[in-house]
Amino acid sequence: MRKKLAITMTILLGAVLLSACSGGPVHGATWPGLVTNGTTAYLSDGSVYAVNLKDGKPAWTYPGSTKLIFHAPAAVTPDGLVIVGSAGTDYSLIALNPADINPETNAPIEAWKFTGAQDRWMAAPLVLDNKLFAPNSDGNLYILDLQDGRSVKEATVVELGGRLWAAPTTDGERVYITSLDHSVTAVDANTYDILWQEDLGAAVPGSAVLGEDGMLYVGSLASQLEKFDPATGRHQTVIEAENWVWSTPSLDGDTLYFSDVDGNFYPFNTSTGSLNWNPVKPDGSITASPLVSGDSILIATESGSIYQVSKDGQSVLWSEPGGKIYTTPVAAGDLVLVAPLETEFYLAAYDQNGHQAWTFTPGK
Amino acid sequence: MKNTSSSPTAQSPVPAEMSAGMLKFLGIAALLGLVIWRWNDFIAVFVNVLIWIYDVVGNNFGLAIILFTILIRIITWPLNAQQMKGATAMQELQNDKEWQAVQKKYAKDKEKMAQEQMRFYREKGINPFGSCLPTLIQFPIIIALYQSITRALGSTPLDLLKLSRSLWLPNVLDLVPLNSKFLWMDLGRPESVVLFGLAIPTLAVIVAATTYVQAKLTMPTSTTPGDQSAAMSGMMSIYMPLMLGWFALTFASGLSVYFITSNILGIVQYAVQGKANWRNLIPGASKK
Repeated sequence: MRKKLAITMTILLGAVLLSACSGGPVHGATWPGLVTNGTTAYLSDGSVYAVNLKDGKPAWTYPGSTKLIFHAPAAVTPDGLVIVGSAGTDYSLIALNPADINPETNAPIEAWKFTGAQDRWMAAPLVLDNKLFAPNSDGNLYILDLQDGRSVKEATVVELGGRLWAAPTTDGERVYITSLDHSVTAVDANTYDILWQEDLGAAVPGSAVLGEDGMLYVGSLASQLEKFDPATGRHQTVIEAENWVWSTPSLDGDTLYFSDVDGNFYPFNTSTGSLNWNPVKPDGSITASPLVSGDSILIATESGSIYQVSKDGQSVLWSEPGGKIYTTPVAAGDLVLVAPLETEFYLAAYDQNGHQAWTFTPGK
Repeated sequence: MKNTSSSPTAQSPVPAEMSAGMLKFLGIAALLGLVIWRWNDFIAVFVNVLIWIYDVVGNNFGLAIILFTILIRIITWPLNAQQMKGATAMQELQNDKEWQAVQKKYAKDKEKMAQEQMRFYREKGINPFGSCLPTLIQFPIIIALYQSITRALGSTPLDLLKLSRSLWLPNVLDLVPLNSKFLWMDLGRPESVVLFGLAIPTLAVIVAATTYVQAKLTMPTSTTPGDQSAAMSGMMSIYMPLMLGWFALTFASGLSVYFITSNILGIVQYAVQGKANWRNLIPGASKK
């Protein structure tokens, strides 16, 4: 009898341990997406939470489920729709209308839905004119007409390959998409033709950035920052990093700030083609993009700290939200929004001095 | 019958086979403790072996899981063989007339019964801890494999970042991210096949079926009415397929590939050793 109990307990323990690894539509399965429209923060962290910037109170929640799980940053259209894709087993891309809230559920009504994708949505779509350029993990770029009035959208599909995890970048004429299949692609924004596609030899999880010099810059898991001619796709490595460059570089004048997962922070000057100063290394791995804020740059680390780096390379600890920060902090007026993992709160706002203004925790 | 009376350890309160078995059990328990303590390194070993095989077999992660499972079975073969031997001996004991008589005689004297049980174990060369080992070893492997698959596939940004910290092999950067497609499956996600508008979890069904077949084949035939061991084996042959089927339904299909491969290898192993009890598969046949 005791043996029977022991085996049953072992099996149950195994089941519990295995279940604990399964993730699901919960906070912390991967890092959340965060955007703001200036008055409201939209946090994709299992569910989609709209949080008032004024006081951190919830405006509405679009609930996730076992099938609908949200981690990708949302895109906000000029007419106020919040578009977000699911990373669950239901691969829907949904446009939510915050102006039309269901009073019973306090969830916004779906303005439209697109269900043609074959895999998860991890990237924020790009709104360009009346079109939505939405990259999916199935390797396709879906282009949707935002003005066609359909409640169930159809899309033009551009097959690129690999998993598309980063938001597209545009100069108005071309849309640049990076892929985990090691490629960077330029697509004509009007004809949707692939203009060029180049292989970097390693996955590219971050977005491309257009520099002040008109060149396109991309970091990759080859631990390099690559410079592209956006017209032809010709490219060259401009700097070697110590480890994987995960985040999208941030542009400030002629300087591109970027980091690697070893925790090094680099200031690359696109005019001189060299670093402004030696890389600084705060206290942990960096996957979040740097946030240029006034005369300094904020960098969030996996160790749960935010450092302020002056433009001559002096760094100080600015704030310690705790947990692990992977999501890029977002500036919203005088506030800086941070969405760490492994903290009690889901979202926190800090003033310009790094003091906590409010926190948001669902259900509180 | 083994005579241990001349053994120098015969005077020990714990018989030689027992103390050896206990030492082995404690050794395995210590190894498991080490694995839990260095869990991330343990996962990293799995991840690197999986990626190495993936590279060797031409970037096929399904094949990598199958070959990895074979490797695991080979490594744990001695333990499985020992468990089979122990289970057979235990079953023989249950059918032993003398033991049955002792059980009746000392039904109300637990202390004496325990002494007699020890004596029988010693005489039959049974290690009572032996049958627990595969169960103890199987679960860390299943959990580690599940975590290794999700980490190696890097299905989410967080998993891909963790993968960057697990890679020890040189020159594998061009392999990342791994191709998660195998046959009709995405190995990083639960599997189902849509037929006539219904999502059929085919792998979960195959996992449950092969687990059932394996459990039935290894279930010893009991001639003793009310044999607890046989009753427990019967119960396990129902619970295990249901539980592993549920795992297959819920978790990444790569884990199902492991279960199916492992079950088939187990069946082959029992058959090769002549231990497979094929009559158990025929309903009612084992009772005749």
